[in-house]
Amino acid sequence: MNRPMELNIWGGDWGLPSVDLHCLEVMAFAKFSGAPLQTYVTNNPFWTPKGKLPVFKHGKQVLSSFPEISAYLKKKNFNADFGLTPKQCAEVVAYTQLLKGQLYLALQYVWWVDTKNYIELIRPWYAKALPFPCNYYYPGSYEREAKKHLEALYDQDDDPQAIETFVYREAERCINTLSVRLGDEDFFFGSHPTSLDATVYAYLAPLLKAPFPSPALQNHLKSTSNLVKFVVRITQRYFPYSIQEYEAKKSAAGGARGKTTDSESDFPNRRGCQILAGLFATAAMTSYALYTGLLQVSIKDEMDENIEDHEDLIHAAEDTEE
Amino acid sequence: MPSVLLTESLTLELGGTGINDHFSAHEPWPQDVKLYQPYEVEQILLPDNANCLAVQAFLKMCGLDFEVVPRNNAEYMSPSGRVPFIRCGAFVIAELDPIISFVNNKGISLSEKLDNTQKADMRAYMSLVNTVLANAELYVTWCDKTTLQEVTKPRFGSVLPWPLNHIITWQKRGQVVKKLGVLGWGPKTLDEVYQEVENCCNALSERLENQPYFFGNRPTELDALVFGHLFTILTTPLPNNRFASIVRGYPNLIELCKLVEKEYFERRSDP
Repeated sequence: MNRPMELNIWGGDWGLPSVDLHCLEVMAFAKFSGAPLQTYVTNNPFWTPKGKLPVFKHGKQVLSSFPEISAYLKKKNFNADFGLTPKQCAEVVAYTQLLKGQLYLALQYVWWVDTKNYIELIRPWYAKALPFPCNYYYPGSYEREAKKHLEALYDQDDDPQAIETFVYREAERCINTLSVRLGDEDFFFGSHPTSLDATVYAYLAPLLKAPFPSPALQNHLKSTSNLVKFVVRITQRYFPYSIQEYEAKKSAAGGARGKTTDSESDFPNRRGCQILAGLFATAAMTSYALYTGLLQVSIKDEMDENIEDHEDLIHAAEDTEE
Repeated sequence: MPSVLLTESLTLELGGTGINDHFSAHEPWPQDVKLYQPYEVEQILLPDNANCLAVQAFLKMCGLDFEVVPRNNAEYMSPSGRVPFIRCGAFVIAELDPIISFVNNKGISLSEKLDNTQKADMRAYMSLVNTVLANAELYVTWCDKTTLQEVTKPRFGSVLPWPLNHIITWQKRGQVVKKLGVLGWGPKTLDEVYQEVENCCNALSERLENQPYFFGNRPTELDALVFGHLFTILTTPLPNNRFASIVRGYPNLIELCKLVEKEYFERRSDP
């Protein structure tokens, strides 16, 4: 098959090629293994098979989770883990589970459950990125999903503050563990990146780069300098374009800051809101007019009147005849 | 339910009063420590049994004395709602992870000889066991229809009177299904679950190689945890024994279970 491999993703920001963990994981793995992957920023999970991005397409193959995609790429001989011993492969499995078990929930928490981050950064970002009708649905649905995740794992009788402390403590321990494991190396298994590096990068990069208003966990990550260097190293080596783009955007935004502050950046999808408000107002006014009788739509009455008119005419005609 | 994700709800309560308390940290291990768990023969289920056994193995490896007290309502007595839990002096601590840190605070640790990278590895493998094996056990116990009808319902309901045995079992099943759902195990089929178990055992077996324990000649917390899970999987009779047969495919893991059983369980019960 000589068809190109395609990947539909969430767009990037803050110097990252994508803001989404799962998209980043696949993109990094593809880069590390040298797979020629074309990425398309769609920012719309609506038409995807599982309602989720990323979506990987190669000919008739449509896949949407990292294990499936990496297995497929490995089958096509794009394998980043080629030089690993079985013991190292076991380590990859173990550390992946460590991230999934201890860091994933904390990331969900930082993104969707922490109110300040959610309202000031995450919801506006997604609302702006998504196309019009979806932007009212998806951010809220992701928030509910994250809260459901938290509810299922923690007893809801506990104080929410305490749950937050636990989630963050787990995550901090996980970050420390990773930092110790990485040590002074460039990558987890020496000088070449593997699938574990892709996974770790995907978990850590958005947490490090996003400008969170409440940065508790982010600060912890920033204090582990080898992991920060690790993220920067991978971004610079494998996604240099996204950094340049972000820098250019930032300097452009810095120049034009005075103009844009109130017109666009304050609220996403101004147009959408205006249309919705207009429709709502029209509907409300019409129903009010109908209800109070200002406006009458009465076909039957008109018919009767017509008939009456007609009868009058007939009578008039009869009168004249007489 | 031992998942590291779930454990800490207790350390919270103890955080202020117990673990960090200057007093308790230096107190020696008291004589009358009790470990509460459900009845092993009639009641206990596969996931709970694995956790109880892991804690027992850990305490025995540390050389700490304790007495196992079976209670049919152990789950409701536990401060975190999960078994087992230990009563040690004025403190009640549930589940393996908090118990490990409690014991560490008394100056007893199985992993103090390890270097930092080894400790990091140990944490990673422990979370591998906690996420994969523990969730697979929950899945088989509560989501597999045959096991649910033939094993889980009769055992779980055995200690409850008539209408409650159905209601509480149903409630519990709902909780477990919800939890597995958010962790991404909901849509998995039984075959996929067994595949995960296979991968996990493979990783553990590669890590163990031909050593007696995971980190050389001395057991660590990881050995206690792996022993708890694998031994339970091997010895629990289920309608479908594929779970156990997967584990049997890894002779070095079986050797580890036999070794821990011989060293820490038989020797104690003989005299």
